Amino acid sequence: MTPTQEPPTQKSGTALATLRELPQNVWNSIFRNPLPSTDLERSSTSFTNFFLHIHPVKVNKNTLRPTYTMGLGLIATFLFVILVVTGVLLMFYYVPSTTQAYDRMLDLRGTVAFGIFLRNMHRWSAHGMVAIVFLHMCRVYFTGAYKRPREFNWVLGVLLLLVTLFLSFTGYLLPWDQLAFWAITVGTSIAGYAPLVGKQMQFVLLGDTTVGQEALLRFYVLHVAVLPAVLVLMMAIHFWRIRKDGGLSRPEVAAAPAPDAGVVKLKKVYGLQGFVRGPFTKLGNVPDNSVYSWPNLLMAELFVFVLTISLILVVSLLFNAPLEQPVNIMHPPNPAKAPWYFLGLQEMVSYSAFWGGIGIPGLMVAMLFAVPYIDRTTHGVGKWFAKERLLANTIFLTLVILNVIFIAIGTFFRGPNWTLVSPF
Amino acid sequence: MRLPLAIASLVVLIVHGVVFRNQFFHEWERHQTAYIEQARSMSKNDHERAELEARAPRIEQIIVTSFGDTHVDRCTTCHLAADDPRFGGHAEPLKSHPYSAAMGDVQRNGQWERRHKFSDFGCTVCHDGQGRGLDTFYSHGQDEFWPDPLTGYVTQPNWRKDFSPKLKGKEYMEANCAQCHTEEAFAGTPHVERGRKLFYAMNCYGCHKIDGMSEGTLGPDLTEAGKKFKVDYLWESIVEPRANLATSFMPDFHLQPADVESLVIFLKSRRGVNFAETSLDRYKAHVANVAVVIPPGTAGEKAGEQLLGDRACTACHKLGDKDGGIAPDLSYEGLIRDEQWVGDHFVNPRSRVPDSIMPAFRFPAEDFQRLTAYLESLKTPPPPVDAHATFVNLCARCHGEKGDGAGKVAWYIDPSPRDFTKPGFMASKPRARFVASIQEGVGGTSMPPWKRILKDEQIDGVLDYVMQTFAKEQFKELKTRNIPEKNPVASNPESIARGEQVFELRCNGCHGRKADGKGPNSLDIFPHPRNFRNHWFVESVPDRRLFESIEYGVQGTAMPSWMDMLNTNEVGDVINFIRSLQSGRK
Repeated sequence: MTPTQEPPTQKSGTALATLRELPQNVWNSIFRNPLPSTDLERSSTSFTNFFLHIHPVKVNKNTLRPTYTMGLGLIATFLFVILVVTGVLLMFYYVPSTTQAYDRMLDLRGTVAFGIFLRNMHRWSAHGMVAIVFLHMCRVYFTGAYKRPREFNWVLGVLLLLVTLFLSFTGYLLPWDQLAFWAITVGTSIAGYAPLVGKQMQFVLLGDTTVGQEALLRFYVLHVAVLPAVLVLMMAIHFWRIRKDGGLSRPEVAAAPAPDAGVVKLKKVYGLQGFVRGPFTKLGNVPDNSVYSWPNLLMAELFVFVLTISLILVVSLLFNAPLEQPVNIMHPPNPAKAPWYFLGLQEMVSYSAFWGGIGIPGLMVAMLFAVPYIDRTTHGVGKWFAKERLLANTIFLTLVILNVIFIAIGTFFRGPNWTLVSPF
Repeated sequence: MRLPLAIASLVVLIVHGVVFRNQFFHEWERHQTAYIEQARSMSKNDHERAELEARAPRIEQIIVTSFGDTHVDRCTTCHLAADDPRFGGHAEPLKSHPYSAAMGDVQRNGQWERRHKFSDFGCTVCHDGQGRGLDTFYSHGQDEFWPDPLTGYVTQPNWRKDFSPKLKGKEYMEANCAQCHTEEAFAGTPHVERGRKLFYAMNCYGCHKIDGMSEGTLGPDLTEAGKKFKVDYLWESIVEPRANLATSFMPDFHLQPADVESLVIFLKSRRGVNFAETSLDRYKAHVANVAVVIPPGTAGEKAGEQLLGDRACTACHKLGDKDGGIAPDLSYEGLIRDEQWVGDHFVNPRSRVPDSIMPAFRFPAEDFQRLTAYLESLKTPPPPVDAHATFVNLCARCHGEKGDGAGKVAWYIDPSPRDFTKPGFMASKPRARFVASIQEGVGGTSMPPWKRILKDEQIDGVLDYVMQTFAKEQFKELKTRNIPEKNPVASNPESIARGEQVFELRCNGCHGRKADGKGPNSLDIFPHPRNFRNHWFVESVPDRRLFESIEYGVQGTAMPSWMDMLNTNEVGDVINFIRSLQSGRK
């Protein structure tokens, strides 16, 4: 069905004609533009659709290079969407009560339609999101994309990483099994090592001196209401800033514009990018290497979305989310391990409680926040592992590898009493 | 880009297809169709046949409101023929539930009538399993996380392979019968009854509490054992107490499988408040039980020896060739302890050995007298052998074959047996002290006096053996230490108060705020710090030794020298404080 470009303007006269035109009119009232076939229509489609207007009308070709962004930010976003949908469905069954929570897990396994599958999707998406957000941060760093004018968006990104970790951590407790209970016990004990406010923080978080009903309720509220709201708000600002900072980072192009089929002539009348102020959108001064969002960017997004969801679906079909015996305070597992993304911390805590749990992680987060304000150079942007950024990249890569090593040791090489064991 | 997109989309479609197929095509529909067909062909009644013909598969459920929280049993969705006597000879799931007079079912006019109607009882009240489940794996409780799999029919895949076959059998359902039929000796629950008797006969009640039955505090409370634990865990805990908790000191009672089974069934029936009683009933039973000193089933015991066997004393103690490996050797008790000591110890073990872990059993007084009389009759000393053999026979059980204080019962004994391999200790104490310890024993500890078992030359021989084999350093004549024989500070309230202040400042960390040897550091220290509330010990030690230990420290232990920190008067105050703890106690 191809909608007509112009809605019929001549008076229809009869009631029959009104009826005949009803579907068309409804359609046109919702979608103001026909499926675009010209550049004007492409611009207009992006601009007038609520869901599409988050996109710029045109994007730089560099933005669409899969090897540049790897779609990591998009994947993280889509995982969050999956998490919200599955999470809301799971909320219909879950009761945040120490006596009922575990029974509800068993109900999900045995009696609720799609129960296991929903839980699997939620669990694996959550783990995936933590990993992908971290990788996204690495990508932004290694391409130097945090540099002026994107400093604040980097700070927002670090905050988003922290909120993601906290979301995953709060969700970890909800099944109320041995895994959950002891992981949260370990995790909140690490928080308790913070100087001055550590114990108070732990108490506020748990509502008690140990993990119990109060902690479960608090974690639940944080997990389903507070943190998602915070995350959505910050994501909105994060996305908005991408636009306001002039799109994704890309290498500066000094050479004269190469004549290209897709390049639009200057002095166009509908160059909406012209309204967007910012150092990176100097219309006319730089080669216009951009293409229309519709369909280029949308196709890329669709591609990432379908890939993400198909991967999550397959993983959820093949692997069941872990569940252990119900909470038994008398029988701590040996070793009791925190969630995997905190195992690096736990490993460091095993050397020094303060430095491993608070000191070094605190310093690392502070360094992450400070990065764009310390590194004020503007070269090497938009290129993976740019030569000009050798020192910065080496420092960051070392820290990333150290973190991964610590997590790997904590996950695979630590046995009873936190002694070194071989996983093989 | 289009090809991977197409492939990914296909994957999404396929996964959706699989998931939806799993959700909407059910095994139970096949069973229902089979039932409807067969019942229709069996039916001799036109009306019923028409009804069956019109029937489409649907979820069947029984809502059970009378037994605990309201719950839903959908078992009859597959087991549609459970109440249809025509299906008696069919295979599961289309088999009718058997009728049995023992269960109270009655036959009227050739028609059986159930005592336990499914419409009232549902299925899971007796059988367990996940009532709401519609999938065999989950509804039968084969999922390893489901707390109660079909009792007696299903064992979960993660259960111990060596005994999980023993966890099958209809007798396990008696644990559920006992939720309503709580009366003792109820004909339908012989295993529960046998387990209850074993709970008393094997002395389980000495350590474990079951509300309304026993008040033991050493082991875990078993009042809700049936609710908290699966039969697999219960069985394992009985036959291998240390499998779950490495530090457990529960003995292995070497029970026959039939006895273990009865105990497991009995424990599985303990679920706190059951269907038949209110929490007020439970409280009344608790109050009544505290008042009753005599456990049931004590009649008929003849002599102490018989009693000792029945009460499973050798589950912990050694007697002759039986050795529980937890508590001291009783083989020569008549030569070691007098009647007064044994009698007092029975009534309250901690009145003689303050850190003993032995429970105070609530046997009738005459049983204690019989047991005491029997133990006092054990007056035959072992035949004299060489020093090495004597050490192995009599000392190694506590002090260890290597003399390192780590004998097999050492773990359960507080104060710990002396480690002879610490030369610092062994070389700093005069021989006379060791001889005295062997001859007279050490008060308030598990070290008994050996003077009536070993002759003086045997004691000398064993001591030489220990010194040469383990200590490896001969006693060194010490430089004269400046130690007063008697405490020079007179004991008065002021001195005691000063001593308490010093004690709080200097000694708390190890010896504890209560001076009971259980300070925060004590757990990591071997031998453990002394318990100064152990008046048998403290009163057996002269001032001189207390002075020496404080001023010069105790070599080979964690006790440091306080000579530079405390002057003689302060040490005297501390000793007065320690001595003051003993007065007012017997």
